[in-house]
Amino acid sequence: MTDTRHVSIVMIEDDEGHARLIERNIRRAGIMNEIRHFADGGSALNYLHNDENGPARNGPALVLLDLNLPDMSGTDILADIKSSDRLRRTPVVVLTTTDDKVEIQRCYDLGCNVYITKPVNYESFADAIRQLGLFLSVIQVPDVEGGA
Amino acid sequence: MAKLSERTAGALVLGAVVVGFVLILAIGLIGVAVMQRNLAYTDQVAHTYEVQNAINDFRLLNERMETARRGYLLSPEPNFARVFEETSLQLPGALARIGQLTRDNPAEQARVARAQALVRDEVAAARVSVANRLASAANFAEDEVVQDIRAIRQLAHEMAEDEAKKLAHRDTERRKAIRQLTGVIAVAGIVTFVVAVGSLWIIWRYTRDLADSHEALGRLNASLEEEVSSRTAELSRANEEIQRFAYIVSHDLRSPLVNVMGFTSELEAAARPLAALIEKADAEAPGLVSPDARAAVMTDLPESLGFIRASTQKMDRLIGAILRLSREGRRVLTPEPIELAKLFETVVATLKHVADDRGAEIVLAPGLPSLVSDRLALEQIFSNLIENALKYLKPGRPGRIEVHAHRRGERIIVEIADNGRGVDPKDHARIFDLFRRSGAQDQPGEGIGLAHVRALGYRLGATVTVDSALDAGATFRVSLPMTLSPEAAAA
Repeated sequence: MTDTRHVSIVMIEDDEGHARLIERNIRRAGIMNEIRHFADGGSALNYLHNDENGPARNGPALVLLDLNLPDMSGTDILADIKSSDRLRRTPVVVLTTTDDKVEIQRCYDLGCNVYITKPVNYESFADAIRQLGLFLSVIQVPDVEGGA
Repeated sequence: MAKLSERTAGALVLGAVVVGFVLILAIGLIGVAVMQRNLAYTDQVAHTYEVQNAINDFRLLNERMETARRGYLLSPEPNFARVFEETSLQLPGALARIGQLTRDNPAEQARVARAQALVRDEVAAARVSVANRLASAANFAEDEVVQDIRAIRQLAHEMAEDEAKKLAHRDTERRKAIRQLTGVIAVAGIVTFVVAVGSLWIIWRYTRDLADSHEALGRLNASLEEEVSSRTAELSRANEEIQRFAYIVSHDLRSPLVNVMGFTSELEAAARPLAALIEKADAEAPGLVSPDARAAVMTDLPESLGFIRASTQKMDRLIGAILRLSREGRRVLTPEPIELAKLFETVVATLKHVADDRGAEIVLAPGLPSLVSDRLALEQIFSNLIENALKYLKPGRPGRIEVHAHRRGERIIVEIADNGRGVDPKDHARIFDLFRRSGAQDQPGEGIGLAHVRALGYRLGATVTVDSALDAGATFRVSLPMTLSPEAAAA
């Protein structure tokens, strides 16, 4: 059984408010894993690929990805992760405001594991995040060394 | 060479044809006149010949009579006597014939009269000389008969001269008439030729111009089609851009709205322990909490949060409406044969409970036509219109909504008429605008329905209009094409 505390959550979200709300609700769901927040795609990719503690070098991780980022499209980050040998097994949860069918399909085609639309209604939003937290507490995240 | 306008060419051809026909008619008339003159001259010439013949006959008889007389005087043979008798009897007749023939010629008449006198003398004298067989026969030179004969010869000669002159004159006239006729025919030929060539030339030029303009029209048509299709492409591109814009804007507006609503909820959640704290403080240490602080936590804070929540919810609904409209605008239409009667039955069935609640009845006119269009879009249009009719009834008047449809040319006109509170005529244009409403705001709604109906209608090639007055009900009229072409559906 994988120790969930070792799985770090990489949150790529440009909106500070959304990031805060997501983090609060994950915590409320009882998930105490480390959450690393990146507000832009460039620094997030840098962390994923090159950081000493990043998922490519060390330690399992789960990516929470927003599609609307200032410097690049979330789908580009998704494509990058899923085309990297060391990162492609890392689960990616797309969490975004876009509910366009075409966009959703594209994300799944690129290998996204879960696609969640952020509801504007806060109760639903909080619910969704908490359920995501519950989901995170039970999913198995592959170990990089073990997988590679 | 300047192009002939259709009007000018027509006028020219008509003018040429008229001129041609007038000329040919004139030439024909002139020809007939000349011919008649010619005929008259010919008659006159024939007459002159006749007169000449008569004169010759007379001269001959005269000479024969004298010869017979002289023969008899020289040798009294019965044969000579007989010939003399005959000729002396015929001579006045021959002269009378000349007189008859030249009745219109006074000079000849005078001569004939003189000749008649002479002939009478001569014949009488001759008879006497024959009867007596006078020795005077030897002296012809003084013979009275011979004197007469000389005079008669002279007269006959004059007559013949006169007739010959006339003949020559008439012959000249006749020749002149024939020359004129030939001239007229030649001129007619030339004129006809010129008119024919001119008309042919004009017709040829006009036909060529017509062919040219036909070609030009064809080219123009082709370029027009190109123009239209490029404009259509531009329009649909612009439309796509607007749809995309609406979509992006509404999405990007949603993102901050998530924060507003999220943190409002967080504030509400935070206010709850605060309220509990105040209650606890009031219970345990009355007077500790100032009235201001209590009011702020217990009333102001919840009220403010309530307004923020209500406003953000409304904003969410509006953004949702724009999103729905932009999504509807991007939906691919699929034209299919639709029976309006069945479609309305479906729509009415889904609205039945609303109608029952409001005590309104919906009546479908019999014989609703069929058409080819997009089913979903039509259902949305008609259910929106009927829903509106149910929504804005006149209180105290049982609602009645009638659906009629009829065909006009290649279009189907569907009318949805109610007896509700109606729409003020000044608002007839406004109610189709997004987020705009009319009359008392006593019904829930965002002012989206009719904007949606009109946007859908445009996509189906339909127009939606309203006919209404306050308190007098409203009739919404949807004019749909009989057949929604796949190209129009794709645009």
